[in-house]
Amino acid sequence: MKVLVVEDEQGLAESITDYMVKDGYICETAATFRDAEEKIHLYTYDCIIVDLTLPDGNGFQIIEMLKRLIATTGVIIISARNALEDKLKGLEIGSDDYLTKPFHLSELNARVKSLLRRRQFGGHTEIRFQEIVVVPLTRKVFVNGQLTTLSRKEYDLLLYFLSNVDVALTKASIAEHLWGDNIDSADSFDMVYSHIKNLRRKLLEKGAADYVQSIYGIGYKFSQP
Amino acid sequence: MKLLTKTNQIYLGFSLVIYLLTALVFYQIIRLLIYDEVESRLQVERKDFETYVREHNAWTDSPYFVENKIDVIPVSRRGPVREAFTDTLIKNRYDDKLIPFRQLTFYEPIKGVIHRVSIRKSLIQTYRLIEVISVAMVLFLGLLLLGMFWFQRKLSGRLWLPFYDTLSRIKRFDLNNDTSLELSKPAITEFNELNDVLQKMAAKMQQDYRSLKEFTENASHEMQTPLALINAKVEQLIQTEKLTETQTHWIESIYQASRRISRLNQGLLLLAKIENRQFSDSQPIDLASLLAEKLTDMDEVLSFKQLSVNVQTTSPFEVQLPAALADSLVTNLVNNAIKHNQPSGHIELTSTAELLCLSNTGGQLISDPERLFERFKKESTGPDSVGLGLSIIRQICDSYGLSISYRETSGIHQFCISRV
Repeated sequence: MKVLVVEDEQGLAESITDYMVKDGYICETAATFRDAEEKIHLYTYDCIIVDLTLPDGNGFQIIEMLKRLIATTGVIIISARNALEDKLKGLEIGSDDYLTKPFHLSELNARVKSLLRRRQFGGHTEIRFQEIVVVPLTRKVFVNGQLTTLSRKEYDLLLYFLSNVDVALTKASIAEHLWGDNIDSADSFDMVYSHIKNLRRKLLEKGAADYVQSIYGIGYKFSQP
Repeated sequence: MKLLTKTNQIYLGFSLVIYLLTALVFYQIIRLLIYDEVESRLQVERKDFETYVREHNAWTDSPYFVENKIDVIPVSRRGPVREAFTDTLIKNRYDDKLIPFRQLTFYEPIKGVIHRVSIRKSLIQTYRLIEVISVAMVLFLGLLLLGMFWFQRKLSGRLWLPFYDTLSRIKRFDLNNDTSLELSKPAITEFNELNDVLQKMAAKMQQDYRSLKEFTENASHEMQTPLALINAKVEQLIQTEKLTETQTHWIESIYQASRRISRLNQGLLLLAKIENRQFSDSQPIDLASLLAEKLTDMDEVLSFKQLSVNVQTTSPFEVQLPAALADSLVTNLVNNAIKHNQPSGHIELTSTAELLCLSNTGGQLISDPERLFERFKKESTGPDSVGLGLSIIRQICDSYGLSISYRETSGIHQFCISRV
């Protein structure tokens, strides 16, 4: 999977790239409009992550250009502007998602994965992790071949974990993933805890290993015990 | 009062005064002229009378003088004045009508006896003349007045047309819109200058407004990007194995602080945007149902905090608001009602067409209720509260013709929104 990150803030581009490379993606960066223009003309990407404000141009133009070249490439906008007009315009010209800065790398990663799943296999794909199988199209979860009934939030939580395996996730990032940024986090952390407790119990009941580890002071991690 | 009505009023009042004065003076002049004429004729007749008396040394009622024209009465002595003109009314011989006369009285000795002689001339013709002249004058002056009035109205209407045109264009001018103010170029120098100045002012205002908007956006961008960087680096840092407890604690603090700055920044930007009226797509929104919807959305939090909700919306509470702000308004209201609630507390939503109230149970207020809506006034000391929620609610209400009030009665905190 090839991903292009168009972001002028060097440090941020670096963090995104590092995060994605760890997950097995081939990642390239472009810091300027011209750089990005050149790259999308020369290579083919599965997904591009575009910042709207670039020193020498506008992210929208890159998306328009890209959509003319290869319409199937997934596009995720990352922007500091939390304006409804920008979001609508982005969708109009063919972007798939919009993330407002500051965002969680784990959230971006989850969105990229979900986007690629939709784009590449039309959603007809299963996510496998050891004995756990998730069918996103029907929102069904199987553990050791047995159907496991999860609530909506538990399902979203599991998918978020599976998109970020072996990664320490902060409570805030999980809360925002589940409820959006308007949630008051003092309560949501407790809610996150109770959802994780339930998810863990349900998975254990069906004979899965205990993959959810809590990290003191930070949050949780989904990984091999 | 409109300018043209005012000028017309002044013009009409002034003209009427001038008109009445003119009429009065004119009437007096005509009367004077006519009296002068009558009196000089009476003088001539006196000469005739004196000549007659001198020649005949006697006076007989001559056919020359018809009835009431002359009175010759012997008197014992002369009166105090030698001769005098007076106005008198004398009954007509045929019908008992009183007729105005001008009379010249003098004393003349006939055959050695002093006689008082009164020669009179009827003024009835004269009066008719004055009447006719007066009526004609009233008519002509009235016509002139009306004509002038009409002309003046037409003229002012036409002269001020560019002004009214400019006025209506300015009224339609919207700073939020990108179209610049286009004004006509009237032939009248003053109006032309006015339009020039207005156009320049509008252009300047638009430019300032645009740069303000750009500044707001740029400020957001410039702040959010470093924050995103901090967040990303912290996220990478926590992936490191074997962090000590102290290090974890530090990282957690950095992370929380950066999230708080981000929230603060977003809140302040939202406030600035509302103040600058950068939301222009107002639409009718039923706040009551939006609030009820939001409460349903939050059911998970509500059940987690064991809060019961009672919705009593008798009729919709319709307001004109941009959708994004309506959402922000209800989110902040609901968040506030949840955050400051007590365990197994209660939230109640009531609405009529005029009033929308959201009340919640909760502990006593620590700070002054008057200052509750001020920025950075916080009740809780939690790290996630930035103290802008109620200011945002207040700002939205103030900017869109709504009023928000707070009331606390025996542990029930109530926020009510009504139209101003």
